[in-house]
Amino acid sequence: MKKLKFISKILHTKFLKEDPHGSLHMPVYENVAFEFKRAEDLELAFLGKKPGHMYSRISNPTVEHFEQRVRAITDATAVMAVSSGMAAISNLIIAIAGSGDNIITSKHLFGNTYSLFERTLKDWGLEARYIDLTQPKDVAGLIDTKTKAIFFETITNPQLEIADVKALSSIAKENNILLIADTTLTPPYIFNSREFGVDVEVLSSTKYISGGATSVGGLIIDNGTYEWSKSHKLKADAKKYGPFTLLNRLRREVYRNIGACLSPHAAYLQSLGLETLPLRVDVSCANSLTIAKFLEKAKKTKAVNYPGLNSSPYYEIAKRQFADKPGALLTFDMESKEECFRFMNNLKLIRRATNLNDNRTLILHPGSTIFCEYDTETKKQMGVRDTMIRLAVGIEDKEDLISDIQDSLEELK
Amino acid sequence: MKIKINGKEEVSDKDSLSLSELLKIAKVENPEMVSVQLNGAFVKKEDIENTKVKEGDEIDFLYFMGGGKN
Repeated sequence: MKKLKFISKILHTKFLKEDPHGSLHMPVYENVAFEFKRAEDLELAFLGKKPGHMYSRISNPTVEHFEQRVRAITDATAVMAVSSGMAAISNLIIAIAGSGDNIITSKHLFGNTYSLFERTLKDWGLEARYIDLTQPKDVAGLIDTKTKAIFFETITNPQLEIADVKALSSIAKENNILLIADTTLTPPYIFNSREFGVDVEVLSSTKYISGGATSVGGLIIDNGTYEWSKSHKLKADAKKYGPFTLLNRLRREVYRNIGACLSPHAAYLQSLGLETLPLRVDVSCANSLTIAKFLEKAKKTKAVNYPGLNSSPYYEIAKRQFADKPGALLTFDMESKEECFRFMNNLKLIRRATNLNDNRTLILHPGSTIFCEYDTETKKQMGVRDTMIRLAVGIEDKEDLISDIQDSLEELK
Repeated sequence: MKIKINGKEEVSDKDSLSLSELLKIAKVENPEMVSVQLNGAFVKKEDIENTKVKEGDEIDFLYFMGGGKN
């Protein structure tokens, strides 16, 4: 049989152990502890020398099957499912860096990620060095012996900027540091992170993968491309664990100790969501382009920003990196914050809520919500304007979405 | 020859044994999920077939559970 394609791989990922009842779905193992026949077996399992789940905070059959499905579609060396996208980022950064180390990133980040770097991890001695990552030539100058990684979002939220991933990868490889991509807006199916030289991918599976905001979750996907013997922090482990160095550090230390595990029920929901990921991506990306083109022509809206539009400075790079699927997030500006609010309040179908890649279309004013903890100057540096609206496009019938937007704009007159 | 597998001393009547032969003889569970350490050092998947075990060697079969696959 030929090599399976994307959806077939998801649907036909084999269970590691045969289900006694022949279930086609991996059942929800909503239990905590697992029994072993002999004390010696339990000892071996704790030492990692016998395959077996011991305690669901560390591993669980339902969560494991979700991880295996993601591994099947990414061909990754290791996949870890965690409790949220933020848990994916925090677990990974804590595993690869420590006090006195630094990472290079952009200020154009998801608000909570910026807060994690600038507040939470800064207190523990990690320095985030900010630069415009769409200008890769400037990155090398910030790298020193304490630099552990370049961290970037494949499409920044809500600025919708797109960096040249292969250029960043070259810089990371030349300097033996890790290239980490947050691919929340461009999950596997849209973006092949391995092909573009990303070492480790993190994403919020709450978004596209969960199947319509059914549950909160995150993923760490290790492409197995980084030589861990070059990591000052992990080189001793690299000798013992080879390509599984990061997985070992997470599973047997950081992830285990922090306890940000994905619940078995959430893993079940996310596994179901994964089955229809390509179908939902195709529709939401097509809807986004239709709406973006409509907003470009509308009189009350301006600065429409969507990487699928010819007018976007990132149109060509989006085409190259994201297989003609430039995500389902777009922004546009109105005259004032008050007009943004009035427009949002007029909507009948589109929901006012903070999330993206829900099946429903959601609208948000980023400046007063996700970025509310920052002062005006910081928001300016982060590319967040008070006149900006973010639309996270869903899979409704596009005619209904256009009609709702059109009616709301007309009510403003 | 005497070797140690997962910390337990084992005796083999063979003079020469590759790691891949040992994986079969030891009836390792989920062999597609196992990683092999020889005397504390990781053995690459592509080297398992041709790496020979000798008297006194310590071999560990490791599982990371979840998403890892050698």
